[in-house]
Amino acid sequence: MKKDKLKIGIYELTGCAGDALLILDCEKELIDIFNAVDIQSFLMANSANIDGELDVALVEGSVTTEREIEEVKDIRKRAKVVVAIGLCATAGGIQARFTDPDEWEKNLKEVYGDVKMNHTKAVQSKPIDAYIDVDFYLPGCPISKEQFLHLFTRIVKGAPPEHYPQPVCVTCKFNGNDCLLNRGILCLGPVTEDGCGSICPNYNLPCVGCWGPLKEANRRSEYYLLKEKGFDIEEIEKKMANYSGTKLADFFNQIKKEKR
Amino acid sequence: MKKISVDHLARVEGNGGISATIDGKSITDVKFSIYEGPRLIEKLTLGRTPEEDVSITPRICAICTLSHKNAVLRAMENALDVKVPQKVYLLRELMHMGEMIESHSLHVYYLALPDYVGFPNAIAMASKFDLEVKIALEMKHFGNHIMKILSGRYIHGENPVIGGFGEYPSVEELKFIKGRAIQFMPFVHKTVNLFCTLDYPDNPEDDTLYACCEPGNNEYGFWGDEILLSTGKKFPRDDYKSLTNEFIVPHSYAKRSRYQGKPYSVGALARVNCLGERLTGEAGDMYKKYFNNRWKTNPLFHNAAQALEILYSFERIPVLVDEILKITGNPEIVEYKIKDGKGTGLVEAPRGLLIHHYAIKDGLVSHSDIITPTAQNAEDIERYCFIAAQKLLDEGHEDKIRDRMELVVRAFDPCISCSAHMAEIRHAPQDDWKARLDQIRNDQDPVYVGIGDRDLSDDGTGIKLAQMLKDAGIPDVYFEKEIEANDKIMEDFKGRPFIFLDALNHKQNPGKIILLPLDLILNNTTLSHRIFPLISEMMNYGQIQNSYILGIQPESVKSGEEISSSVYTAIEKIYKHIKN
Repeated sequence: MKKDKLKIGIYELTGCAGDALLILDCEKELIDIFNAVDIQSFLMANSANIDGELDVALVEGSVTTEREIEEVKDIRKRAKVVVAIGLCATAGGIQARFTDPDEWEKNLKEVYGDVKMNHTKAVQSKPIDAYIDVDFYLPGCPISKEQFLHLFTRIVKGAPPEHYPQPVCVTCKFNGNDCLLNRGILCLGPVTEDGCGSICPNYNLPCVGCWGPLKEANRRSEYYLLKEKGFDIEEIEKKMANYSGTKLADFFNQIKKEKR
Repeated sequence: MKKISVDHLARVEGNGGISATIDGKSITDVKFSIYEGPRLIEKLTLGRTPEEDVSITPRICAICTLSHKNAVLRAMENALDVKVPQKVYLLRELMHMGEMIESHSLHVYYLALPDYVGFPNAIAMASKFDLEVKIALEMKHFGNHIMKILSGRYIHGENPVIGGFGEYPSVEELKFIKGRAIQFMPFVHKTVNLFCTLDYPDNPEDDTLYACCEPGNNEYGFWGDEILLSTGKKFPRDDYKSLTNEFIVPHSYAKRSRYQGKPYSVGALARVNCLGERLTGEAGDMYKKYFNNRWKTNPLFHNAAQALEILYSFERIPVLVDEILKITGNPEIVEYKIKDGKGTGLVEAPRGLLIHHYAIKDGLVSHSDIITPTAQNAEDIERYCFIAAQKLLDEGHEDKIRDRMELVVRAFDPCISCSAHMAEIRHAPQDDWKARLDQIRNDQDPVYVGIGDRDLSDDGTGIKLAQMLKDAGIPDVYFEKEIEANDKIMEDFKGRPFIFLDALNHKQNPGKIILLPLDLILNNTTLSHRIFPLISEMMNYGQIQNSYILGIQPESVKSGEEISSSVYTAIEKIYKHIKN
């Protein structure tokens, strides 16, 4: 039987390790997870790891050094299927806020000065699909246990995982929350990927956008709606960029052109 | 702060998270490297509103997310003069207890224990310690549960905000937490007894300085408005830089800290050393029972200190819940006006002192400074690993160095992802000094100082070599006495590397050449040299870090020894290498 088990590798690039930790936090399901597949590499939990051919690689974190570029390319070569898990891998994470490479370069210099780093060169933080093809995305900061188990089970059963093509608002409505935007609070629910269970609006707090930008969202229309509602445009842009700004570089360029 | 899979990287570049280089009978290099790329978190917080930063900065680390949350909240509330109601204060403390239990139980049982009972990992350990493994998992789950109830989710919860909480836990939820905490007590006792009586090796042992928050009111606790050192010295929160003095090393993107040029430790062991006398109840009894002088000098007792803190947290939970339940009604989020100001927040994360500092101008964050525990511990981790490795090498146990270094690093509980497997031993190639000297010279021209000629207690190798270099017209070569007579020389060459030339007994065949960082010599128990303390007193830490000793093994350590032919060959070798 063991032969038939899928070979899985779980990898961490730059980030907070929250997605790998969340997998460990599936306390009750953990043993089943480890039994259902053949985990070849999972550094957070295991010390004897193998870097061979894989059926599925789950990759957390964004790419921020030249070493990581090589690493993520190597993972792609070895794995039949690559899944980006967590906001840093799917969209770049909070460290991908700088949309302008020059701005990033300037900030790096301000932090590290002229000290010559002798281990690996830093590059601007990007999601993994900036360097390799990604088959599936599981966003979240951190990923949700429910979405992870759902994706994981489908993979184990040989079915492609489903994408959630809706914004936080959908779940928020199901949860019967009062719309924060109607109350004049800047909430990013309409342009953010769903999956958190609309946790912030449930707690009476606005969505900060930590599941990353929803691809299908009509961001432009949202932007102008918020502007019409009287929100400061700088504030709107900053809030949208807090979680994975680089992913929205094209959008911001378009807005910039329209402003002129 | 998380570190990337070091084991994996080892296969990419052949270099792990902690590495030691052995040259003959000396450790010539110990490096605790963090390969994690730079995220520039402090820069990300600039130009953001205080509320946005409360949401962004906990993303630094998933394991200590609520410590970061508490630290940023304390800093922002100090900056904005926000006073939170007692109920909010108590709930935040309860939330913090959840994180302590979750993090400490994961560390002591799953990461540390397997080493001491002879198993490769926790799953394998389950064969013999089935109950421990299962209940420890339950204990971790309980910590997670508290975090979820109060912060909104296991990791990166958004419920705690400036001035209060978005939503409050129900009375039933709080009562459940209290009941569960009491249920766990028998197992908690077992945990303390187990980890306080483990057979911790007596190497490395050395004095260090401990730092933690001063909780005030002569109580134990996990936050405060002052920093307390084990010497009894205190700093107000805004003077945190007097302790941390951050600097950068080229082998890591995480900044380092030293106090008055010396490494210091933070974490559970630091807290127990500084505050242990204040423990009351059962934690106080256990402290009296188990604390001894070894806890002051041996970093492996971090594990015992964490177990003691698990007990403290479990005892504290029912007290906190009772206090919280006495306060009826849920306070609204405190209203505040955004104003200009500065604020520092001090919190004890499970791994130690965590500092957040922000300045707010025109409603936006204009300056930010975040100092994490692992960044502060990095220097002491390297120092203790060096002590352990050199001692084992002296005793002829080279084979044990790798495991021992892992044990030391793991005891500091740097972050779980880097605790899995990380040590590497490297043997220096023959004539390693050449390559390393070239590397130093490539970066910047060094200043050479010939040591000796004080009381003729060595063979005068350093002086002879310096004289030859001077005669050959090599710039910036000095004798030790010139430096001592004129400390301006040291000042003039600020920022340039210093290379001290000397006879150095490193227990090798006569004439063997070795290049050592000066820093290691100063830490070294077996290689310490009469001269270096004198000169090193004239240097600040930055200079020490950039200084090396290029030593030749003398024929013997007898007073007034003449330069032998093998030593002379070595002098010529160095002379030729530098001249070309």
